[in-house]
Amino acid sequence: MPNAPHHTDRHPADFELIRRVANGDEAALTALYDRYAGVVYSVAHRVLKDEGAAEEVLQDVFYQLWCNASRYDAARGTMAGWLLVSARNRAIDLLRRRKPADTNSMEEPVPLAFNLESSVARTQLISRVKSALGILTPAQRQVLELTYFAGMTHGEIAEKTGEPLGTVKTRLRAALHTLRQVLAP
Amino acid sequence: MNEHPQPEEVFDEYALGSLEGEDKQAFESHLRDCKTCARRLEEARARLALLSLAAPPITPPLRVREGLLAQVRAQSSGKVPKPAISRQPRRTLWLVPLLAAAAGALAITAVVLIRLNHRLSRQLAALEQKQAAMLAAQQEQQLQADKARRVLNVLTSPETVKVSLLPADAHPAPQGKAFYNSDKGLVFYAANLPPPPSGYTYQLWLVPLRGVPISAGVFRTDREGDGKVVLPPLPRGVPAKAFAVTIEPAGGRPQPTGKKVLIGAVS
Ligand SMILES: [Zn+2]
Repeated sequence: MPNAPHHTDRHPADFELIRRVANGDEAALTALYDRYAGVVYSVAHRVLKDEGAAEEVLQDVFYQLWCNASRYDAARGTMAGWLLVSARNRAIDLLRRRKPADTNSMEEPVPLAFNLESSVARTQLISRVKSALGILTPAQRQVLELTYFAGMTHGEIAEKTGEPLGTVKTRLRAALHTLRQVLAP
Repeated sequence: MNEHPQPEEVFDEYALGSLEGEDKQAFESHLRDCKTCARRLEEARARLALLSLAAPPITPPLRVREGLLAQVRAQSSGKVPKPAISRQPRRTLWLVPLLAAAAGALAITAVVLIRLNHRLSRQLAALEQKQAAMLAAQQEQQLQADKARRVLNVLTSPETVKVSLLPADAHPAPQGKAFYNSDKGLVFYAANLPPPPSGYTYQLWLVPLRGVPISAGVFRTDREGDGKVVLPPLPRGVPAKAFAVTIEPAGGRPQPTGKKVLIGAVS
């Protein structure tokens, strides 16, 4: 893990906390919650634009963590990555009134290339992501945000924006290409 | 096995859930056999996960933390089964299913009850949140959790009686519900009550099998006419005959003097 912070008993690493959660340690669950509830809630709120629904996603994501912690494999994915993906996907499921997907379980690893265990690291990465989005053209950014935060398909975006389907696809691909360059670890 | 998908964007699009139709099927069938591409997909998923960080930062309310702990404890104590991986009932606010389950036994329509329950769970959390400000963080969490557990005990214990309180006069709308367990305590909520006259308040009474009514406290109603009394100080082990709500001068009275607004007998 690059830039791994110095861990102490007061600030245990995510993998240590999740190991304790797997053994039924409530304090470890609340430590993870206190570390990540803010980002999980923020993305759910961004997607759903509703406090009650975002609260539901937040509680749900951490309850899943509690129930499935023993399946988590620290060698393959990061806890923070799983939380970010879960928060987004569950919020989209709720937004689109879908049943929670069977995918995105603990067995589907999210090997985040960044460490988010300290609030300083989280703040730094947040500003890096924001400046990455700032590089995109407004039209590229719109397509990307409708895909990521509204879970829309290409066709739905074309309908919403009045652009041809081909244009939507091209813009999204261009946006993803740029992100790959600027968000490389 | 067909060839590795060439454009890197395919991995991103699949991770975003925006790959569709034949493209999606072809990608998935390739993925099953190709470790290299499975690994590339994981990397794409991790890179895109970072977009979650672009959401405007908001601090979640404390009640979610409390709700999570209550849910975790209910599950640990075996009251709620562990869900299968990634499968979960839609509504996870911990009070809702419990109260909704009690609905069948009660003489109020399910729709009204679920609305009330949902609001009650938020009211309880809000109430606890108010107390939170007064206590040091660690100590407070313990107390909150204890209280949540005690409320849960009252609501779920088999010995708990559930009493519906209906209007004592012609107004159809107001209603109340008391969950009472002589060992564990009382949880009461009311809905659709008009605001009491200026200088007056609502007061809840436990009418024991023997003796005079015991005050279970005064309560306010909010703009929507909802009110509640949660775990008031009451003598232990008193069997109840009925519950009632009266209108009393501000601050309440040791014995009921005013008009009965709601009343319900223990069946
Ligand atoms: Zn391949």
